[in-house]
Amino acid sequence: MSRSSAEGFQPVNKDTVVSMWRERFGISEDVFKGFGFFRRGRMIWAFSLPEIPPFRCESIGMRVISMRESPWKPTTYALQLWGRHARKNVIDLNDEMARRFFAGESLELRAQVERGYVVVTHMGSVIGCGLYTPGKLISQLPRERRILDDQNAPEHHAQPGDTQQDGTE
Amino acid sequence: MPISIHSSHMASEHLERYRDIIPDFDAFLDSMSRPLPVTVRINTLKTSAPELLSRLDRAGVGYERMRWYPLGLRLDVEKPGRLMEFHMGLIHVQEEISMLPPVVLDPLPGERILDLCAAPGGKAAQMSMQMSNRGLIVANDSSSARIVPLRANLERLGAVNTIVTSYDGRRFPEYTFDRALVDAPCSSEGTARRHPGVISRCSVKRSMDLQSLQVSLLRRAIQLTKPGGVVVYSTCTFAPEENEGVVSRVLDLADVESFTVPGLRSSPGLPSWNGNDYGEELVKCRRYYPHENDTGGFFVAKLRRRLSAGE
Repeated sequence: MSRSSAEGFQPVNKDTVVSMWRERFGISEDVFKGFGFFRRGRMIWAFSLPEIPPFRCESIGMRVISMRESPWKPTTYALQLWGRHARKNVIDLNDEMARRFFAGESLELRAQVERGYVVVTHMGSVIGCGLYTPGKLISQLPRERRILDDQNAPEHHAQPGDTQQDGTE
Repeated sequence: MPISIHSSHMASEHLERYRDIIPDFDAFLDSMSRPLPVTVRINTLKTSAPELLSRLDRAGVGYERMRWYPLGLRLDVEKPGRLMEFHMGLIHVQEEISMLPPVVLDPLPGERILDLCAAPGGKAAQMSMQMSNRGLIVANDSSSARIVPLRANLERLGAVNTIVTSYDGRRFPEYTFDRALVDAPCSSEGTARRHPGVISRCSVKRSMDLQSLQVSLLRRAIQLTKPGGVVVYSTCTFAPEENEGVVSRVLDLADVESFTVPGLRSSPGLPSWNGNDYGEELVKCRRYYPHENDTGGFFVAKLRRRLSAGE
């Protein structure tokens, strides 16, 4: 049956999601024009159509918010996509601090932002999600987005395109 | 990367079958033994070319822009996967010639696109960018092991207009797409510059086995595309059995169209090979040899579904 398509994905009220981005980061609702939001488990996913097409889906669009914690936590990938439109709660790092943040370190710093999740940038390009408490910025980057020293890096560091022998790319 | 004398010998022996069809064959063999340049695609879902280039300039990373594709760069760096720009999703490490099929398919914002053999997802993410994250891309791959890297790449690159499915492409369920890409599983001879061992696994028998699968995949993709819609068939192999030999078996459903990509050298498709007559229109397909553009090897056919297909 085609209705099994959206297995587990339930539409969520778009205003609820859009207002979170507006209130926390000052991101205009225009940025989300045309996108729909769906919930599966404790994650919210963004997708380009209001309805999920009738397929057996492994995944749709991308994960944008985790509801596991309160307040809801934006994903690094969503911030990489939309964070450049943020007007507040943004912390821009210099080269040295950006390198340490990418390595997963917590940084001692004070910034003019509210306590909670922030958009972390370097030269205006978004790195991802950080958690700010006064005096401290804690990396929320997913493990696979960390850049470690060569000696600590796994030999087969995820290199898209290197994964396959047969066929594409 | 050095190749053993044994596999190198087997490699050139297998490739000898192409001596009469590949122009400047010795230059071809020579280029096949050299490593590939490091190439990346700028991801305009997250950045712009000027922003990305100014970051590279500031970081002291040398680059050269591709003549035929403004979003393609050759980087003077050994491990692009360690660049901040990679982890920010601003660039995707993608072989130069594999950026070509989406350019030929030319998906538009709002359209519905099928990518039947999508893993690891570089081309699907490229199409997502061409479509400004609007419309729909169904990124399908039959192998559940390959779904993991496919999903990871689409997510890192911010492809919101995609869904990932894992059907056997030959039996993909009924739907109507505006365009389709079949970047088929193949013997991958054209990737030998990166995977030197690949040629030693190639044989005519293997190509013929793959041909049946490739024909089934391509026929299904055409059936799923609206009449008049474009279907691009591509492989990274030289074997005519897997290229012209496949396209010649779908001409009851679709017509071959010629196309040109300014700045990229190519050779015409083969109208016949080893006693098989594929048809004159097959010269409209394009073959891309490693020594022509200093890339991997590729084959691309642009097809248009007939208005009244005899199915």
